[in-house]
Amino acid sequence: MEQDKGVASILVVDDDNDIRMLLASFLEAHGFSVAKARDGAEMRAHLDKRSFDLCILDLMLPGQDGIELCRQLRQGSTMPIIMLTARAEEADRIVGLEIGADDYVTKPFNPRELLARVRAVLRRTGSLAPADGGARSIRAYQFEGWTLSLERRELTDPAGVLVDLSTGEFDLLQAFLEAPNRVLTREHLLDAARSQPDAVFDRAIDVQVSRLRKKIEPGESSSPLIRTVRGAGYMFVPKVTRA
Amino acid sequence: MKRWFDTLAARTVLLMLIGVGIVHLASLYAYQHALDREMSLANEARLADRLLTIRRAVMRVVPAERESVAHELSGGPVEAHWSATERARPGGPGAEVWQSLRAHLKEQGADLVDDDIIIGANRKSETDPHLAMISLRLPDQSWTNVTLFAPAARPQSTHGTWLSTSLMALGVVGISVLVIGWMTKPLRRFASAARELYHGTDRVEVPETGPREIRDAAVAFNEMQARIRKLVSARTQTLAAVSHDLKTPLTRMRLRAEALKDQAQAKGLVADIRDMERMLDQTLAHLRGDRKDEATRPLDLAALLTTLVDQASDQGAKISLSATGATVIDGRSLSLKRAFGNLIDNAIKYGINAEIMMKSEQELVTVTIADQGPGIPEDRMADMFEPFTRLETSRSQETGGFGLGLSIARDVVEGHGGRILLANRSEGGLLVTVQLPRKVSLSG
Repeated sequence: MEQDKGVASILVVDDDNDIRMLLASFLEAHGFSVAKARDGAEMRAHLDKRSFDLCILDLMLPGQDGIELCRQLRQGSTMPIIMLTARAEEADRIVGLEIGADDYVTKPFNPRELLARVRAVLRRTGSLAPADGGARSIRAYQFEGWTLSLERRELTDPAGVLVDLSTGEFDLLQAFLEAPNRVLTREHLLDAARSQPDAVFDRAIDVQVSRLRKKIEPGESSSPLIRTVRGAGYMFVPKVTRA
Repeated sequence: MKRWFDTLAARTVLLMLIGVGIVHLASLYAYQHALDREMSLANEARLADRLLTIRRAVMRVVPAERESVAHELSGGPVEAHWSATERARPGGPGAEVWQSLRAHLKEQGADLVDDDIIIGANRKSETDPHLAMISLRLPDQSWTNVTLFAPAARPQSTHGTWLSTSLMALGVVGISVLVIGWMTKPLRRFASAARELYHGTDRVEVPETGPREIRDAAVAFNEMQARIRKLVSARTQTLAAVSHDLKTPLTRMRLRAEALKDQAQAKGLVADIRDMERMLDQTLAHLRGDRKDEATRPLDLAALLTTLVDQASDQGAKISLSATGATVIDGRSLSLKRAFGNLIDNAIKYGINAEIMMKSEQELVTVTIADQGPGIPEDRMADMFEPFTRLETSRSQETGGFGLGLSIARDVVEGHGGRILLANRSEGGLLVTVQLPRKVSLSG
């Protein structure tokens, strides 16, 4: 994979010339190799020539829109996709993810948030994907009756009650669930929870973990779900199943 | 007006009862009056005949036997005696009642003149109100005296009268309830359609059937509904399109800001962009109102508030949260998050710090947000929920926003069947109280 060689390649598909150029130079400045496409036809032309590690796809495109393109891409490819959308309505978000996108960012986005998500998606698919792209088939994680749905980006408790998580907490929990029963260092977790840059860069990862604990650990009497490993980091204890 | 009188059915029943009552009483009165006249006429003729018969019989026998003959002919209400002098004295309680008897006696007994007939009371017991005495003179100047019971208050069958009246009234009530229920059914359909039009997203057609007036109203209602929908969707689409189109240049600006060398300028630019973004979001949220396109589901309100509070405290706000009791309610997560987010933003912006308390009862969750700001002047309190209302204080300039926060929060809370109240705290600052039902009724 390109990523292994150090430079990940990204295909940016957006019909707005300025956004395309600006986004490309922003990503290039952060060490990615970037190709640009204005619509579905140009996108396919690029994909015919070579493969990419990730695609950033605008939802509103002339001709075939982003949803349609995403669906088509999914049929023959496991390339990770991040959707860009100006429509923040939840319906769009869910559609975006259920049609096979790995993540979404709403316009106007914080470029650093996009960067964090690009890295998170690359890390996730890079570390977990076997040759057949198994990472994408994970739609949810389950532990102790709880469900973390990656499609809807939501957490429900054993009774089916929606428990709200901040973006940082969600990403942190996801990082734990990807690697249960392994000691995760603060650096690893910080990297994982970075999709909300402003909030997380400044807060120690310990604060994030304690907030997450408050939301998912029942009483003080029972054994903790997230164990603190002195001098090393944290470990997620319960058995995790993938769905 | 009392509540029971408020319905069309109750009013109609009442009106019909009054009408039926008046007609019934009037006809009853007329009928009774005529009946009385007929009956007393017939009675008096028979009585006069009997009195004259007694007189004739007494007249034919010798004086020694007259008393016993009179006695033999007595019976029922009539008690006859013979005497040398008249026993009746004109006047008294019975005189009135039997006055018209005189005419009958004169008519049937040809030999009688006015002086021969005394209608009055017994000389010996004048005060007895039940007794009347009539004395008739015989040709030999002796008298036949007849004691009559003055008729007491008629024991006419009042039971029957009342029974028939009540039955009729009952029938009237029953039939009016049925008829009005049937006639107002279309009205109730209108009401529920109008309500659904407000809450729902689908068009609710009122069936254009029934009597002509109702049909006309239904057609007009459906037309109005179509016009409202068109207006609303045109407005929403226009503003959504504008907002959407504004996001593209904002995205460009955000990317350009990233490339700026001057960090201070970049920071300012990013803050401006964020303000504009927030205003756009609020406008869109306001236009959407509390639309039900997000599903209602059980959610942990405490967790939701915790996220908001943590977020605010990460940005340097002084804020605290305490939650007691069960924290799960039925609600729409995104809407509630927006509503409480707005309230918390306000508390921090205008009120320096925010103290949030969540208390759970059997059927209700109460969340209070108290700050230590200047509060709101009492006379402006009612306006605050109106869209685009802001207090013209020096602080409001720098904080931005359209003044939609409270309006959106109210839409969401009321959309959940709850309510939201503002009050100035006696120790200073504003207290916002939000009450939400734990189970949202799904009927609305």
